[in-house]
Amino acid sequence: MVPMGLRVVVAGVGWSGFSPTTAGISYKELMFEAARQAYADAGLDPRSEIDSFVCCSEDLEEGTSIFDEYVPDQLGAVQRPVQTVASDGLFGVATAVMLIRSGIASTVAIESHSKASDIVSTGRVDRFAMDPVLNRPLGVSATALAGLEMRRWLHVAGRSEVECAEVAARNRDHARNNPRASYADTRDPTPLFDPLTREQAAEPADGCVVLVLSSEEKAPASAVFIDGIGWSQDAPSVESREWDRAAAAERAARAAYERAGIDPSDVEVAEVDDTYAYKQLQHLDALGLHGLDSDRVNMSGGALGEGHLREANGLARALACIERLRAGDARVGLAQSWRGVPSTSAAVAVMRR
Amino acid sequence: MSPRVAVVGAGMSRFVRRAQETGKELSWIATREALASCELKLTDVDTVCLTSAPDAFDGVHRKGDYLADGAGAWAKPYMRTYVGGGSGVFTAIQGWYTVASGLADVVVCVAEEKMSSCQPHPQGAFLTIFDNILERPLGPNLLWIFALEMQRYMQAYGLDKRDIAQVAVKNKRNAADHPAALLGQTDITVEDVLASETLAWPVQRLDVSPISDGAVAIVMASEEAAKRLTDRPVWVQGVGWNLDTTYWTNRDLAYPEYVENAARMAYGMAGVNEPRKEIHVAEPYDPFDYKELHHLEGLLLFDRGKAPEAAAAGVTARDGDLPCCPSGGLLGVGNPIAAAGLMKIAELFWQLRGEAGARQVPGTPERGVAQAWGDLMQVGTVVVMGNDGGPLTTATRSPTPQSPPPGPRATPLSDQEFRSATGAVEQRLDTLYDWDAGEAIGAFLDGLREQRILATTCVSCGRTLVPPRKFCERCFRPADGWTEVPQTGSVDTFSICHVTWDMRPLEEPQIPAVIRLDGTSEGGFLHLLGEVAPEDVHAGMEVEAVWKPAGERAGSILDIAYFRPLDPEVRRELVATAAAETPLGSAV
Amino acid sequence: MSPTKIPGELSVSFRYTPGVGNTAFFEALRDRGVFLGSRCDDCAVTYVPARIFCERCLVELEPSEECGPDGELVSWTVARVDVDDRPLDQPVTYGLVRLDGADTVFLHRLIDVNDPPEIGGRLRAVLAEDRTGSIFDVEGFAPASG
Repeated sequence: MVPMGLRVVVAGVGWSGFSPTTAGISYKELMFEAARQAYADAGLDPRSEIDSFVCCSEDLEEGTSIFDEYVPDQLGAVQRPVQTVASDGLFGVATAVMLIRSGIASTVAIESHSKASDIVSTGRVDRFAMDPVLNRPLGVSATALAGLEMRRWLHVAGRSEVECAEVAARNRDHARNNPRASYADTRDPTPLFDPLTREQAAEPADGCVVLVLSSEEKAPASAVFIDGIGWSQDAPSVESREWDRAAAAERAARAAYERAGIDPSDVEVAEVDDTYAYKQLQHLDALGLHGLDSDRVNMSGGALGEGHLREANGLARALACIERLRAGDARVGLAQSWRGVPSTSAAVAVMRR
Repeated sequence: MSPRVAVVGAGMSRFVRRAQETGKELSWIATREALASCELKLTDVDTVCLTSAPDAFDGVHRKGDYLADGAGAWAKPYMRTYVGGGSGVFTAIQGWYTVASGLADVVVCVAEEKMSSCQPHPQGAFLTIFDNILERPLGPNLLWIFALEMQRYMQAYGLDKRDIAQVAVKNKRNAADHPAALLGQTDITVEDVLASETLAWPVQRLDVSPISDGAVAIVMASEEAAKRLTDRPVWVQGVGWNLDTTYWTNRDLAYPEYVENAARMAYGMAGVNEPRKEIHVAEPYDPFDYKELHHLEGLLLFDRGKAPEAAAAGVTARDGDLPCCPSGGLLGVGNPIAAAGLMKIAELFWQLRGEAGARQVPGTPERGVAQAWGDLMQVGTVVVMGNDGGPLTTATRSPTPQSPPPGPRATPLSDQEFRSATGAVEQRLDTLYDWDAGEAIGAFLDGLREQRILATTCVSCGRTLVPPRKFCERCFRPADGWTEVPQTGSVDTFSICHVTWDMRPLEEPQIPAVIRLDGTSEGGFLHLLGEVAPEDVHAGMEVEAVWKPAGERAGSILDIAYFRPLDPEVRRELVATAAAETPLGSAV
Repeated sequence: MSPTKIPGELSVSFRYTPGVGNTAFFEALRDRGVFLGSRCDDCAVTYVPARIFCERCLVELEPSEECGPDGELVSWTVARVDVDDRPLDQPVTYGLVRLDGADTVFLHRLIDVNDPPEIGGRLRAVLAEDRTGSIFDVEGFAPASG
């Protein structure tokens, strides 16, 4: 039986940057380049043929309050329906799916970018996401939560630091064939927040991804379909969140599989969040993909290979997955994101060619 | 044809100046009340939609994640949308498409703002909304842009400040009947508004809505669920949203085209062809009194420049032909930014169910419109709601509930209590950036250092643009080249600002102005005027740039010290000379 | 021309009220040296610090459960760098401790713990002598036997 799916297709993709720095290029110029590629790929004129625009960003990562102000021009979205989703790019994909299914748009552009090289201290940004009264005064870096979660998860799941190190090495190995990857040669076993080491944490990168989704009526024959989408989060507080497993990713995956009408065993290629190496293993468990051949997971090198693109991480994973499906390497693929410490938000997209 | 979606419940915290509650707790108060209003449990909710304006108000990065528990989002699909001041109305649009997509049956939409966290004044957060490279060095505060827009609106249509002040009076009086209001006032007069302190001419203190903390929530449901949950659903008939160009100094601020675009989208979906006849009650966005009028025009409910005289004639009073902001609006109920926008949706819900108590507009309103506005005078969000001619005639329920019900719903703290609260914590956001100016602005700044003003050109639409960009936003293609423009122009709009960003009096007023540079297609940029007495400044005044000495120029907008008045004769000569010198090729 | 970088900052000051739930928690900690929590019977969850609502079902909660001061170590990590990624003079060990009677964990420093600490190990809160109503009224957690 052919699953119903969501009846939404990927009409175009574009990207720019994917480099530790993009010196001399402003975030607007980075966005313009990725958008131009995506619209050309889709064969659509944004001034008349894209119905709605979704940008995924957070103010403190840009250094500008109400960053929504600064997005329309370089996307061809002036005097058009534009909105910001304050989350990872895969939440933007979910938004686009809803806009299309509601009937209010038949084509939607989704943009997210990282201009990490503009941020002098990402640690100070992340610190402000922690509870101002209970956690922040301790002066602890948000990354400490990754160390705490990694140790807890290894303990509960019976996994080892060696397995995590293997993930980092394998992803960086995969990255060698990816033109967007800059961190294939990173090796640094220095402890960061024990047991987390530096080489097991993705390093920052600049980059922008734009996707164009459309209703299936507009699909070319070889289009990649978004068949399932799911998003969820756990308790936001450090105190009451789930520390033993990636509960939000589990719930997001369940919703995405159900909407796509597939089982985890149908997934042939997966691009999952690997902000930290242990997260890849934890996420594969949550997605029911622990059995998937490790050579079919993060074939792009993931964030460990490409670099961490902040709110654009999910779109980077989706882009890599779409490329595999377009290349005919697989029929069913999955992309998953997690927003990084201290967030618990996660999203999953199931795609089919 | 999209599936039908209804609002079936609403609740709100009280709007207060300083809440003891955290943003999470305020969100919970509103969410719990919204669910209770339609007798739902959290388990009945599929998905949660949230909005909140800048993180720099509450002082929490990724505020959406932080507020999730208070909004009832634990283990549920949850997302925060964000379009600046337009966010509150937008979250109802988010709720609409979430349900209309078929991915959820029942959703809660929550809007929260806790502005009191931002010290010493929430205006501190607004300093960070301006362009990081071309505007922030000038030290603009939020009053500037409102004053610049208000001045332009008044000047374009020859408006009387007295007519505009009527809006503040009406809304603060209306709010006296709102149980959750911060600033309801039955005895305020136009004279009070006109006599209040001038902050940034033409903006006076009582033209402005108050800083507030608060949260609002609504419950939205699919047609099937709505009919199960209530006998009086209020349907979302149309939604629209629209974002104008970032380059606000290149626009005519006299009229909000983006609001009209959003309204046309919403009216089109709602099948409203004649809004002036088919809209019975309106909640336009009113953070400043003139904004209500500006927006009523954008909503096509009055001709351009004609809303003020209609307001003065009582047309927009609660018992007028078109009641506007019967809630009391932001000016009266309060302005916790995002929450204030969703309050307008809640008010329409109550009005269209006949539940607004003392605020109830007379007659049998069947359709209303709510609108919010935000970003850099740039975004319009519009929702049309209707009861399908139902509820008031089915007045079988007695007594009719009065919504929102009276109750404490948030604990206001005095300044002293706020300062001495047990467990309160002070912190400073100290994030540092090293922004890449990029090719276009990088070259522009290099030009300023050399005492030149550079523009980009687009051969496709024939425009010459300052600030320059590498792309033409109208044609969506790369810009074609560079040209140098004259250093003269005219004042498009201006303000006389008497206060600092944190509302301390200035010894010498500042005169911010939007300069229309000669040789450009659409104006220029924000800067300050100098060598002129405030009373001598006027729209259209001809000006020239005054530069810092070469050794002091650093590649910054501040390389221009200010603009000063220029003899029109001299200006014509300068422009003619500049035109005779062939514009440059590529400056990069 | 070399790329133009423009230094800037978001510099904004904040004063955060702890809210109704945390106020009850900090007052109990300051005045009585106890960890006050709230229990939701329907969800069978006890939250510490106290809250005025259950995040799982949104019912109103009373801040009335006393938990700890003993508890068990859920996880720990060692911070060697500060938020700017600069090396700390002295590494700091942070732990998650589940206080007895609570279903939630408490993030704080670990003091005088074994090297390495053991997950599941018993710890006891060390309270400050002079308490003002803040997270620093707890100095950290030390081995319960110590």
